[in-house]
Amino acid sequence: MLKIDRRLIRNFDWATFSLVILLSIIGIMTIYSATRPLLPNEQPAFHIKQIYWLLIGMSALFLIVSFDYIWLSRFASPLYAAGIVLLLAVLIAGKTGMGAQRWLNIGPLSFQPSEFFRLIFIIFISRYFITVQDRMSLISMLKSFLMFTFIPLVILIKQPDLGTAIILLIMFLSISLAKGLQKKVIALLIILGIISIPFIGNIFWEGLKDYQKNRLIAFMEPDADPAGIGYHINQSKVAIGAGGFLGKGYLHGTQGPFRFLPEKQTDFIFAVFAEEWGLFGSVFLLLVYLALILRGLDTALKAKDEFGKLLASGITFMFSTYFFINVGMTLGIMPVVGIPLPFMSYGGTALLSNFIAAGILINIRARRYELFY
Amino acid sequence: MRKRAIILNTAIIFGFVAVFLRLVDLMVLNHGRLSERANIQQLKQEDIQVRRGFIFDRRGRELGVNLEVESLYCNPDAVASPETAAYAISRVTGKREDAVLAKFSSKGRFVWVERKLNLEAAERIRKMGIKGLGFMPDAKRFYPKGRLASHIIGAVGIDNQALEGVELKYDKFLKTPGGKILVTRDATGRTLSKGEDMESKGNNIVLTIDEGLQYIVEKGLDNAMLRWQASAATVIMMNPFTGEILALANRPAYDSNSSMNAKDFEKRNRAITDCYEPGSTFKIIVGAAVIEEKEVNLDTRFDCSKGAISVGNAVIHDEHKHGVLTFKEVIQKSSNVGSAMLGMQLGKERLYKYAKLFGFGEKTGIDLPGEVSGWIRPPEKWSGMSLGTIAIGQEVAVTPLQILRAYSAIANGGILIKPHVVSEIRSPDGTLIYSFTPAGNKAAISRQTADIFKDILKTVTEEGGTGRSASVEGNQVAGKTGTAQIIDPKTRRYSREKYVSSFVGFVPADNPMIAMIVVVYEPRGQIYGGVVAAPVFKEIAKQSLSYLNVPREDTNEKNVLVVERR
Repeated sequence: MLKIDRRLIRNFDWATFSLVILLSIIGIMTIYSATRPLLPNEQPAFHIKQIYWLLIGMSALFLIVSFDYIWLSRFASPLYAAGIVLLLAVLIAGKTGMGAQRWLNIGPLSFQPSEFFRLIFIIFISRYFITVQDRMSLISMLKSFLMFTFIPLVILIKQPDLGTAIILLIMFLSISLAKGLQKKVIALLIILGIISIPFIGNIFWEGLKDYQKNRLIAFMEPDADPAGIGYHINQSKVAIGAGGFLGKGYLHGTQGPFRFLPEKQTDFIFAVFAEEWGLFGSVFLLLVYLALILRGLDTALKAKDEFGKLLASGITFMFSTYFFINVGMTLGIMPVVGIPLPFMSYGGTALLSNFIAAGILINIRARRYELFY
Repeated sequence: MRKRAIILNTAIIFGFVAVFLRLVDLMVLNHGRLSERANIQQLKQEDIQVRRGFIFDRRGRELGVNLEVESLYCNPDAVASPETAAYAISRVTGKREDAVLAKFSSKGRFVWVERKLNLEAAERIRKMGIKGLGFMPDAKRFYPKGRLASHIIGAVGIDNQALEGVELKYDKFLKTPGGKILVTRDATGRTLSKGEDMESKGNNIVLTIDEGLQYIVEKGLDNAMLRWQASAATVIMMNPFTGEILALANRPAYDSNSSMNAKDFEKRNRAITDCYEPGSTFKIIVGAAVIEEKEVNLDTRFDCSKGAISVGNAVIHDEHKHGVLTFKEVIQKSSNVGSAMLGMQLGKERLYKYAKLFGFGEKTGIDLPGEVSGWIRPPEKWSGMSLGTIAIGQEVAVTPLQILRAYSAIANGGILIKPHVVSEIRSPDGTLIYSFTPAGNKAAISRQTADIFKDILKTVTEEGGTGRSASVEGNQVAGKTGTAQIIDPKTRRYSREKYVSSFVGFVPADNPMIAMIVVVYEPRGQIYGGVVAAPVFKEIAKQSLSYLNVPREDTNEKNVLVVERR
């Protein structure tokens, strides 16, 4: 054990660790700025809570790193089953917020099971795909989709947590890609995609809730109703644009604390950051995320086994997807889908889940030279 | 695997480039437009809090100030349970519950619920935490002395708009234009920055009024109203040399703090807005004129033994037959017959000329709203009897202030001064903005004439004069009584029951500190100015001289030796 520990420390991926800690600290600073009191009688404590969650997340990260990730493949099925149960529990006993049931109360804690399920799903699908020999055929694609993806997808849409549902679908497709698809499957997917755009679009539209429709309309035409549905996007763009080259300076942003920007400490935290740190700060932040993602892809390449490769790719895809959807949304180049910016947005469950994910990445990288016994 | 990794890396980097380009688009290319939008929505115009200037008496005592209060408003749509809220608020304000409820069912998004709540009441309502209510800082005009000097100070309305008195006349100094100021706000409309220049203060006014004298006057008036059960009464006290009004009061009166509830007749400043036929006090015109014109000397004799004289187609009577009177006695005993003779000796043109010289038929120009000019007909419109009746103070309409000014001219050596109530105006930081300067005061009569007539007026309060009961112990009073009939508006004839009794004079006669007129309208029981008004004059004058520390004339020689007794 001692021997292994020493190697683990030597091979510990300090780069990934530093990047996520850096992002979390930037996040906490920005949360404080976004919610800082403007009148003396206000005492928001979002940043304090987030610091606690950061400490919990770091502990979880080290805990995950200390076990070989091979254990994850062994527990993949029970984890998946537990995840489905939790999702169902939310549907039945969940707490409603913003017209959607996403929260589950356990004692004083309330958390979003879907934040963990996305990770469980990645672990499970990666575990499942290593049983598939060679590249994926159409049959195995359909089989894995119907057996393991369809059910959670339906539950999530039912909640409705469209954001996580879309992420789940993207995860499934991207891990499939990482596994490798037969050429005809790729061709079929492309053709299917092109044909179904108007068709699915229609069904999709009909199935949407009003607020979801509004978000899409707002995305297409934010100025059509600036006080109503386009409000989020407009205020976000105003905040980012007001930042300019150098930004207004830390604690000098106004859009967030003045409450013009909704969801300022959660989904729109990037706008708050951009307003205060300007283009220079934003580019720096982009580079930090880019470094995290490229490091993750490199980890996937260097992983010692296929499970590690798929798992690392899946987690990296997840980070990238979250990043692009969230930042794209705040920039007004993607529809408003309520998903947080990894490591920065306020929210304990998401931070913990992301730290576990980062822990898995570090775990895979640290054990890349180890052999199976 | 490696090929896939390269494709993925490229795709991701493309994604980042796309994000970067969009950032440049928003933060550089559209920076100006979006910043402007941020500014527009984060700034709002807010009204500057305006505070009227204070009003002080001549010794700096506060007569008109502001109380910091709060006004309660509501957005009717946002009040969740109007019945509960109305009940809770009515408990604090004492207003009817259904009246408050009516506000909650009004149309519009901004409705006043209760204006000018004191801070304690506002805090109690605030603590209830009722949704849809809001508070706005406000100022309530407050007159610490209530009814005192209300006809001078005046009053303001619920929005602090000037309504009466000095408040109205000097509104442009007291109020401030206010205006707007840009403040930062948040999305919920809360004001986040409070600048220091959020408050704009008006200029402060210093009156010529002396609160102490005013109090003495008002008390004297109240006693007179009680004693004579009169319909109204007026007292004006003035410095006869400068025209500074030291005190001015009327009955009925009102409390400036509740002017909304006051009746119009209570708000009328009779001293300057109401005319009356002065009667004998007007004999000053004919008397001073004949001296100035050297028509008579003090001992010129007039035969008033018939007790009546016919002028034109009218007969003018004395109350009782006087016999032969010297000119001096005509004034002292206020003989109508003698005065009519003086009038006829003077003639229409000259009588009219002197009436105008003493300022009758024209406004005195006092700095209070609502002054009337009174009237005296030009000689060409006089009837045959006018010469006699005008000489004895009928057939002319004057204000109490006009009479007082005429007597002040006797007191000060013939100068027609300008009465005023504001001595100076200072900005909030103390800079002098305005100060009264006497300008263009003309002489009505010569100094000699004034002094001669003053000596005659002294005899009025001496043995044999009509105004003995106006005499003050220790200081000589010069003055004149007046008793005039009132024209009954129904019959358009002189009433047999309704009179105006007055006394006007100054004291100490040779070194006048105060000139004062007392007018009592429709006294019951007695009608003569010497009986009704003169004692009021005396009472007020005595206390005022004491208040002003005016030494007794008769003690001047005696206060040299003070022997200490053991």
